[in-house]
Amino acid sequence: MSLVDLMSMATPNFGSREKILAKLCGREIVNCFQCIKCTSGCTALKLLELKPHEIMKLVNLGFVDELASSEIIWTCATCLKCVQRCPQKASPYHVIVALRNLAVEREAKVPEGYLKAVSQILETGLAEACRKIVTRKMEAVDREYLRLPEVSKPKESFQAVFMKAMEEKP
Amino acid sequence: MTKIGVYVCHCGLNIAGTVDVEKVTEYAQNLPNVTAARHYTYMCSEPGQRMIQDDIKAHKLDRIVIATCSPRMHEETFRRAVAEAGLNPYLVEIVNLREHVSWVHTHEPEKATEKAKDLVRMGVARACLLEPLEKRTVKVEKSVLVVGGGIAGIQTSLDLANACFKVYLVEKSPSIGGRMAQLDKTFPTLDCSACILTPKMVDVAKHPNITLLTNAEVTDVKGFVGNYEVSILQKPRYVDAKKCVGCELCTKVCPVKIPDKFNENLTQKRAVYIYSVHAVPKIAAIDPTHCLRLKTKKSSVCGKCQEACEAKAIAFEQQPETIQVKVGGVVIAVGSEVFDASRMAELGYGRFRNVISNIEFERMSDASGPTSGKIVSPSNGKTPRSIAFVQCVGSRDKRFHIYCCRVGCMVTLKQAILAREKILEDVKIYICYIDLRAFGKGYDEFYSRARDMDIDFIAGIPSEIYCSQNESLYFDVYDRGTNKLLEIHADLVVLATGLVPNSDLERISSLFHASRSADGFMLEAHPKLRPLESAVAGIFLAGACQGPKDIPDTVAQASGAAAKAIDMLSSGKIELEPLKAVVDKDLCSGCRICESICPFAAIEMKTDTGKDKEKSRAEVIEAVCQGCGLCSSACPTGAIKIQQFSNPQVLFQVQAAFEKAKPKGGK
Amino acid sequence: MKTAVFWGCCILTNQLGYEMSVREVFPKLDIELVDLHESVCCGDPIKSMNDFAANYLGARVIALANQTGLHDLFVPCNRCHFTISEAKNTIRQNQKAARRIKELLKEEGLEYNPDIKMWHTIDLLHDHVGLEKIRKTIKKPLEGLRMASHVGCQIIRYSDLGRVDDAENPHKLDELIRALGAETVDYAEKLDCCGSALTYSHPDSALSLAGSKLKALQTIKIDSLIVSCPNCGLMFDARQKDTATIIGVKLNIPVLYYTQLLGVALDIDEKRLGLHLNQSPIENLLAKISA
Repeated sequence: MSLVDLMSMATPNFGSREKILAKLCGREIVNCFQCIKCTSGCTALKLLELKPHEIMKLVNLGFVDELASSEIIWTCATCLKCVQRCPQKASPYHVIVALRNLAVEREAKVPEGYLKAVSQILETGLAEACRKIVTRKMEAVDREYLRLPEVSKPKESFQAVFMKAMEEKP
Repeated sequence: MTKIGVYVCHCGLNIAGTVDVEKVTEYAQNLPNVTAARHYTYMCSEPGQRMIQDDIKAHKLDRIVIATCSPRMHEETFRRAVAEAGLNPYLVEIVNLREHVSWVHTHEPEKATEKAKDLVRMGVARACLLEPLEKRTVKVEKSVLVVGGGIAGIQTSLDLANACFKVYLVEKSPSIGGRMAQLDKTFPTLDCSACILTPKMVDVAKHPNITLLTNAEVTDVKGFVGNYEVSILQKPRYVDAKKCVGCELCTKVCPVKIPDKFNENLTQKRAVYIYSVHAVPKIAAIDPTHCLRLKTKKSSVCGKCQEACEAKAIAFEQQPETIQVKVGGVVIAVGSEVFDASRMAELGYGRFRNVISNIEFERMSDASGPTSGKIVSPSNGKTPRSIAFVQCVGSRDKRFHIYCCRVGCMVTLKQAILAREKILEDVKIYICYIDLRAFGKGYDEFYSRARDMDIDFIAGIPSEIYCSQNESLYFDVYDRGTNKLLEIHADLVVLATGLVPNSDLERISSLFHASRSADGFMLEAHPKLRPLESAVAGIFLAGACQGPKDIPDTVAQASGAAAKAIDMLSSGKIELEPLKAVVDKDLCSGCRICESICPFAAIEMKTDTGKDKEKSRAEVIEAVCQGCGLCSSACPTGAIKIQQFSNPQVLFQVQAAFEKAKPKGGK
Repeated sequence: MKTAVFWGCCILTNQLGYEMSVREVFPKLDIELVDLHESVCCGDPIKSMNDFAANYLGARVIALANQTGLHDLFVPCNRCHFTISEAKNTIRQNQKAARRIKELLKEEGLEYNPDIKMWHTIDLLHDHVGLEKIRKTIKKPLEGLRMASHVGCQIIRYSDLGRVDDAENPHKLDELIRALGAETVDYAEKLDCCGSALTYSHPDSALSLAGSKLKALQTIKIDSLIVSCPNCGLMFDARQKDTATIIGVKLNIPVLYYTQLLGVALDIDEKRLGLHLNQSPIENLLAKISA
């Protein structure tokens, strides 16, 4: 290999990079020229140190595997400012989503919240369970009480087809 | 019987690396009408050319087929070589084995060789039907129209005029000087722009060979290279140019205020005005859309300027005038415009008063500008305590303009240095950049100088600019160098807005039939080898209209364009390529389809009186015709054809394409 | 107009005030809502797991709308609108994915229909109903009130996908508020994100982001913050107290859904608009309006 990261001794993995690139239609990561505009305006930078430009550069050079198993890719707030303002029509957001997908595929660290959402969808069709609602005066109410229509469930067939979709590899 | 010589070029390994040139030559030798077939490493070289010439003499060859690189490379060379050997130069057929074969089929050498054979067979078939043609000579005018009176137009005009050419310099504003007149200092020397420009402006005004037409625009262009007939609209100034002395008494009494374009609308001027401090000519003009007298057309309204003028120069009754001139060539030098930063809404230009463009900063910095040279925050007129520059606004951006504006970095460095030198108090200066480009002579030294002046360079650009209650600005920017997210507060933000194509270019390009490139600027004939001219003979390009550039490059290009024009016109005549459309009058039915379809307006209908019938027939203006062939394909009677591309000539070649057997006929 | 409606998950499970106010207000503006046969997720949280499955779920919502036979689909949640928009875009651009999605839909007897037009609250009211009609229909103009709007992120970005308002200068929600007679204010943090997406992985940071925006709003004199997405509503209204705890500042900002505000201007009873469910301190605001 002609390129080595001396801090981690990692070398680029172009196979992994291809998996990321295959998911980006029209948002050309290779065009990124490190103007830093995305990071300057990143919603998650101050609190969670997310640097979208760094992720773009790492993926461009092929350092994908470390990113896919990192926690940083789960800090994006999906505000889409980076997609909107990038002067090269690259898209850190889409790259981050692709990295997350790769992490899930490799069964790397996935925040519990997402796993809960999947099982919730399988169970009820919705990503969240109906909560107990209280009024400002602390009275408990629910949909029935408020005369809202019942939440209809998905067909029987939904679960199996949804699982198929989840198993789909690009 | 035709005697054809076929010459297959190796082009080093460019062709021979893929195509089996020996096999192709052998194949050619066995084609009908082929007398000699050879191959050589570099056909365009001296020995290569001599080989052809010797063969012509020895075998009395009357047609030559050269299988080599694109005709755009060496067709001229081979034509000349053949002419030297006594053969008509238009009896040469070039077959492209490089761009059409070896360079596109590099990985399939066998198939490439077969294709090469096919192409040579087609070339030989065509060669059989080529006809000898002669170049025609036309007289040309030793005069040039220069469109645009900025530094490019000024330089080109002076060079042409000094070479004893007559020059018509047309400028649409009331004064020449253009963008450069708006600048304070110029990089990398920090020369005062007006100081180096105004002497040239005065030279233009005084030069006996230059007719200066300001407040004028080109409205129509007819004719052809060497013989253009141009209509110029002299818009009325409503001021008698012969009487006005430029005293400006009129401007002091005019009650109407209008935005001052020269000062980038930062100030106002009156409806009667002198365009700028260094205006050449220093003659007033009246804006007819705002002047009360001219708007209402009532002689009872206002007229204060007329009362005040001691030279009796105000002339409300002035009418537009059209001037016709005949010129041999045209130099387009209309310059460029500045990107409207309000399109990049996240930066706040247009919403926040203290966010300004670099051209607005330039006017502020100029001692004759709206603030008499003081750098201030527009909202309160006070000296800013911190100034931030943001680069690449509207440039290098797929949402607006993809290209780099070339001057933005140097302009910002200059303005940062000026700010540091002018503002005596402690002022923080930040430059937020993506890449800092200082490519020219003395430019990196200039960058060095800036770094030594306590200017902070932030390697990164902000995403959004925010405005606080007191109208000062703040933004976050991540710096690649320190890996820190920095919050910057600035009383003044200057956006390095890029140069964009002149909004008039669409009209100009269609007037002169000179194309524009994908980025909207004027298209040069060849980006490397012919950057000073358009693809249309006789139309030259100078300055930022062809692409954003700084003053040194503009002046160089302007002088170059002048040299090109002199080169073309100085002998008083030019030769025209004969590969043009030609009308067979007997077949022409006068239907005018060709006239309407010609994109160059190169066909006119001429009425022919004869045999008691007045019939109008098409006639080709040879000098304007570009030989594109549209007329030929549209003509219902086959009356019009392109020399060397007649139906028989083309169809014979097509026939040969599909026959592996011998082509029939020949001469 | 008769339109299908897809509520998503957030509205149905906890932002009931939004649903109630929409159901009350829309008939007054001649919009009839038809619920889909199923309530199912649009795929938003799935995007981070498997974007194909997310696109499939988004397309499935369109297919469900197709079953109603109607041409329009109203989607009141910013994130659902974005997710389904990206699903539509993928089907348009990626032949392979489109084919596979349609195959999967077929297994359930569902069919995708690219011609179904998707609306959000903002463009349905601003562009379809129109400001004039709103002005004419309301009964109680909200004169003298100052509102700040929070339009959100995924409904205005990214422009290339086709969103309902301008990404840098969104003005439609403000115009809708002004059509009710109230004033709107501009503020530097207008385009800041509510942080809701971070709830899955960094719940405290999510609250911190929402809290920062509320804190900034607190420095401006406003009568209410107006939102039009249940995720934003959840962060700013239902969780305002939690955000205050995280950033260590007392917060006291009334937050209403635009449709609730519209309902108030239409003189509809507070309870029917679900205003009793809003957790933020809206009493003073309501008192000011009835005065």
